[in-house]
Amino acid sequence: MQIGLCDPHSLVGPRRQRRDCNQESCDWCGAHQADQPKTANSFKSVGSSTERGPRGMLLLLLRLVNMADQNKTGTEGKLFSEILSPSELFAARSRSHKIPVRGQKDFFPNDSDEQRQRLEQSLNEHWSLTSEERVERLGNLVKAVWIPSDQIVELQSPAGKFWQTMGFSANGKQYLLPEEALYLMECGNVQVFYRDLPLSIQDGYERFLSSATVTLQQYQVFGHLKRLGYVVHRFDPSSEPSSYARQLNLPQSRDRAGRQLKRKRSPSPTATCSYTEAQVESTIEKMEEDKCSLEGDDAKKLAASPDIQTATTSGADEGRSWWMTDDLGASDKELHHSPTSGSSRWDFSSIPFPDVGSSERHPSCLAPPEPSLLPGDLTVGVCDIASWRRKINLRMVKMSSKEQKREKDTRRRRWDVNKDREVRRCRNWAEYHELLARRQRKRKGRPAHLWNREVTPLHDPKQPISTGELLDKISVIKSTHLLEGASRLKGSEQWRICFNVYQPDTVADFKKSNPGKPYSRMCVCSFDGPVPDLRAIKLLAFQSGDIPVVFAVVDHGDISFYTFKDFQLPTDVFP
Amino acid sequence: MQAEFRAPRRRTRVQEEYEAPLPVSLRPEERSLFRAELINQHVLVRDLEQIQKIHNQGFFGKGVLSRARPDHSISDQWEEHEGLFLPLVSQARYEELLRWAGATLSAQGLDEEAVNQTLLQLSQPIGTEDLRGEGQMMNGQEGPGPEDGASPCTERAWPEGGASPCTERAGPEGGASPCTERANPNPDSDSFSDSDSEPGPGPGSGSGSLVPGPGFVLVVSDSEAAVQIREVRRTPLSLSEYLQLSLEEAFFLVYGLGCLSVHMHQEPLSIVQLWRKFRSLHPDFVSSYAAYHHFRSRGWVPKEGGGAKYGVNLMLYRKGPPFYHASYSVVIERADDAFEGSALHPFSWRSLAALSRITANVSKELMLCYVVYPTDQSEAELDSPECLSRLKVQEVIVGRWVSSRERAEQDDI
Repeated sequence: MQIGLCDPHSLVGPRRQRRDCNQESCDWCGAHQADQPKTANSFKSVGSSTERGPRGMLLLLLRLVNMADQNKTGTEGKLFSEILSPSELFAARSRSHKIPVRGQKDFFPNDSDEQRQRLEQSLNEHWSLTSEERVERLGNLVKAVWIPSDQIVELQSPAGKFWQTMGFSANGKQYLLPEEALYLMECGNVQVFYRDLPLSIQDGYERFLSSATVTLQQYQVFGHLKRLGYVVHRFDPSSEPSSYARQLNLPQSRDRAGRQLKRKRSPSPTATCSYTEAQVESTIEKMEEDKCSLEGDDAKKLAASPDIQTATTSGADEGRSWWMTDDLGASDKELHHSPTSGSSRWDFSSIPFPDVGSSERHPSCLAPPEPSLLPGDLTVGVCDIASWRRKINLRMVKMSSKEQKREKDTRRRRWDVNKDREVRRCRNWAEYHELLARRQRKRKGRPAHLWNREVTPLHDPKQPISTGELLDKISVIKSTHLLEGASRLKGSEQWRICFNVYQPDTVADFKKSNPGKPYSRMCVCSFDGPVPDLRAIKLLAFQSGDIPVVFAVVDHGDISFYTFKDFQLPTDVFP
Repeated sequence: MQAEFRAPRRRTRVQEEYEAPLPVSLRPEERSLFRAELINQHVLVRDLEQIQKIHNQGFFGKGVLSRARPDHSISDQWEEHEGLFLPLVSQARYEELLRWAGATLSAQGLDEEAVNQTLLQLSQPIGTEDLRGEGQMMNGQEGPGPEDGASPCTERAWPEGGASPCTERAGPEGGASPCTERANPNPDSDSFSDSDSEPGPGPGSGSGSLVPGPGFVLVVSDSEAAVQIREVRRTPLSLSEYLQLSLEEAFFLVYGLGCLSVHMHQEPLSIVQLWRKFRSLHPDFVSSYAAYHHFRSRGWVPKEGGGAKYGVNLMLYRKGPPFYHASYSVVIERADDAFEGSALHPFSWRSLAALSRITANVSKELMLCYVVYPTDQSEAELDSPECLSRLKVQEVIVGRWVSSRERAEQDDI
């Protein structure tokens, strides 16, 4: 055994590390890099932890079985301690797969021997279960390398099935995020190397999780959700469209690689005006570079798009005002706004505008408009309006006969001021005011202490008024919604959205390049920490847009999820 | 993302007629001006008819001697006797009441003979014809000291010289409608309480029988014979029940609807005076009133008293407690313009989780109601109810999400 040439077989430290042999063929390790996937009998231990699945654990203990080097068993046995001998493998494979049964719960300790024995036995069973080593086929393990400078894991052998929902490609190589790598390590799918040594699970926890990547609590939530089958991606606030861009309905282009490698971890998003402008600028760049399609069936948006173009040109051309289009002779609010190209005015009677709100059956997709209607060199694709239509169309309320009768009664009882003869006799407003003042004075029983002071009641009970009108009259307190005023809130370090979560059912046709809208977004907090106040709720709601935000509260491994949702109490009027 | 609105759950046994959403009638001829007294930091309404109106139309207030609605009566059993609907009292109980009346009278300094005379006079059986014949009675509402609602009827009768000791409803025509109302006191109280007390006598009296007022009882002699003699007597000691309004409810009736006047030491209070008085009694009156006013102006019925039962400020009912189960438990918080602020109920995750669980166990939804104050509001502004128009209310529903797949498929977040 010579140190320096090929020394893959010396053990370093108590953590059972093994230097990988990069030689194509080596007398010492029977496994060849090229042959690894095909070798049927190479197994490696990957530590022990719990994993999804009914059994909860992989129970195969792996070792490299070197059939050809039986004569070296003596030295090998001391050195390759993770590699299983055939008998060990057989023992591991034929281990019982049963989960220990947990009988009925005892509700209080009764200091009896029998109870103590039962509890001890149960605890021992669980302990042995969790301390079992897991066995994995070496051929199944995807090799990867940890790159601390980028805090990223680079795959060195082709990825497996997990590639469908995890990882990203960049510069022709495949990468995994640290939390994904750690999760796959725990599952037994990936073996991550650092300086040519495989990392243990403990190493993984220590190195991959940090405040720069993903904290331990966030990882616990990540693992919990992944084991239930959800697809969990990191939330990137800068790739979320601002509310303005959302109005324009630009299609999303996911660029996970760019985010991770090119950009260092960006600071918390500041939802200030400048940020919004920057967002618009970046979307504008995307528009002009990628020739994305713009939603074109709304005149307002048509007017908006020339404004965007002028914005970029104004950026380049100093001294031009934002309202340059006004100088062209048409305001951007009016329909007959002429585009900057200076073409003649349109005849709107001949341009069909789709009626999105009609109750007839409409196809849920709108065909693109004529290219002649669009400014510049924009191309518009087919627009999916299903979500819009759902918001617009209201159902006809069918009233029961009782309710219809009530409606008729109120309509009959509605007091029409014009039916009053005295009112009809008034010839002008001044006389009407006099009449009202006279009536006011005639009105008896108005308590002076209420009505003749600085503040009077909101309603005079002498006035006949329907309940609905009364409720409107006394509604002096306005209700507000979460997004109101949220745009001026600065981001906080404490409350951040960490993950996007997608439904487990969508895994089959999940595309990393276009995952679609997430099911929810996660914000991870500690159970010992503070509860989000209104400010935090508003901030996160604004960042998230129309996706609900779920707070994952971590209490030493136990996770509970809470939502704080916007609500407006509907008005309830009983006639 | 908006929370979904869940329809309120109707109660299974609803025996109450819905009168009106608010005690302000649509017909201007009807009087809807009520009077309340501010006594020892409580707002009390004493007139029986006003109590009925205020409570039945909008479910304001709580009877001081009852669980919720003011339905205290001297007996749980009412019976019809010769065309009159009267509470039933056993002979022993009647004599007990007589003794208490006597004790009160002698405590007031009357000598023993005068007391016995009065008691004898009081316990004469009354012919039902006399009762029915009695038309318009004096509506004396000069009650004795309001510290305790109990008073021997004779004391009231004293200055009037033996006239009908307690207030009487008007003639048969006016008596008809309160009669049918009062004819259902026990079924109402039973439909209210979720315990299964036996249902009282049904409203079988119809509109024909007269309820002669709280001054009369039907006394059953404890004879062993099969037929028990029933006699109509005067009530020696009656407890008149008041309606207690919370500060927010009282202020809403005064300011929002203009139908209540609050008097303190016989002096009517103006709106600003009332506002300042209430603010001095409750430091957070502005926030709690703003939330109350907001829910009332949405047509819902907010009830206090959720604190002791569910750990929250208000319970929201649709239409009223007898009709629907409460839909929301509301915790009122305040926030300033930057949406931060000292919380009225500082929550930890532990307390929030506990509250959320309790609320879910009683099938309600936990709502946090944030009252947002503008930053430039001075103390002077807060001293007048006009500041309400600058406040805003934000409602947030707190819910739990279960991550395991079976649950997540059933209900979305």
